[in-house]
Amino acid sequence: MTLHHYLILAAVLFCVGLMGAFTRRNAIVVLFSVEIMLNAANLNFIAFWRYSDNPELLHGPMFTLFAIAVAAAEVAVGLALVIAVYRHFKTVDLESINTLRE
Amino acid sequence: MNEEISFWILSAIAVLGALVAVRKRNLIHGVFALLVFFAGLSGLFLLLLAEFIAAVQVLVYIGAVGVLLLFAIMLTERVAGDDDRRMISRGWSWGLLAAAAVFVVLLLRPIQQLPSQDAAQPIKPSVEALGHKLINPYVVTLEVLALLLTAALIGAVTAAQGLSMPKEEDSPE
Repeated sequence: MTLHHYLILAAVLFCVGLMGAFTRRNAIVVLFSVEIMLNAANLNFIAFWRYSDNPELLHGPMFTLFAIAVAAAEVAVGLALVIAVYRHFKTVDLESINTLRE
Repeated sequence: MNEEISFWILSAIAVLGALVAVRKRNLIHGVFALLVFFAGLSGLFLLLLAEFIAAVQVLVYIGAVGVLLLFAIMLTERVAGDDDRRMISRGWSWGLLAAAAVFVVLLLRPIQQLPSQDAAQPIKPSVEALGHKLINPYVVTLEVLALLLTAALIGAVTAAQGLSMPKEEDSPE
């Protein structure tokens, strides 16, 4: 296995997430597409770390650890916002939440 | 050889999980596909010898984020998902095009230009060193992160409770 295998896999996963975020209308599905993208980025960090010249510095895992923690905070706040929006608009359909445009 | 087989199996699991999660109409099924994706990714982390990150992936994503997503879905729309007309957003073809363009132009080309690099050297188990690193150079980051998580917790509770909108007193007709 070379570094390129992992990088291309991460790129594919990232684009699957991007596709989901761009094409779905449900706010929750968009949130988990963002999660997929974040995880693809984490895979990149770990792959670069594994194939780096001095892996004992552990930069990759540290960064990934912090990224996972920030992503967890993001999910919690994001879902709370989705629930608040649902309370207000009675829907999580992103295309009918457009009061700012009117 | 074994590593190669496991890589292909795990990456197939991850990609299929992600695709199903993004395309599935039923949101509950989507979340379970997402959990399969997280599990596949955790296996890939193990394959890259990042055993602690793999464990954290299982604990945080499969354990916490999955449950959180399930609760959020059950608190909002119909669980069975949207009907046919409302699943895909209006400009979906542009979205698809943009995703494909990002893949080809922004990701694939730089990856191909990287010098090819194979077979990393074997490395030691890293859990103990990670613990030391968290205390020695990264302790400030750790504390800031703790603060961030606390703030996120409070913020999430406040937002989900619903800031009671000030009642619009008799709007002008």
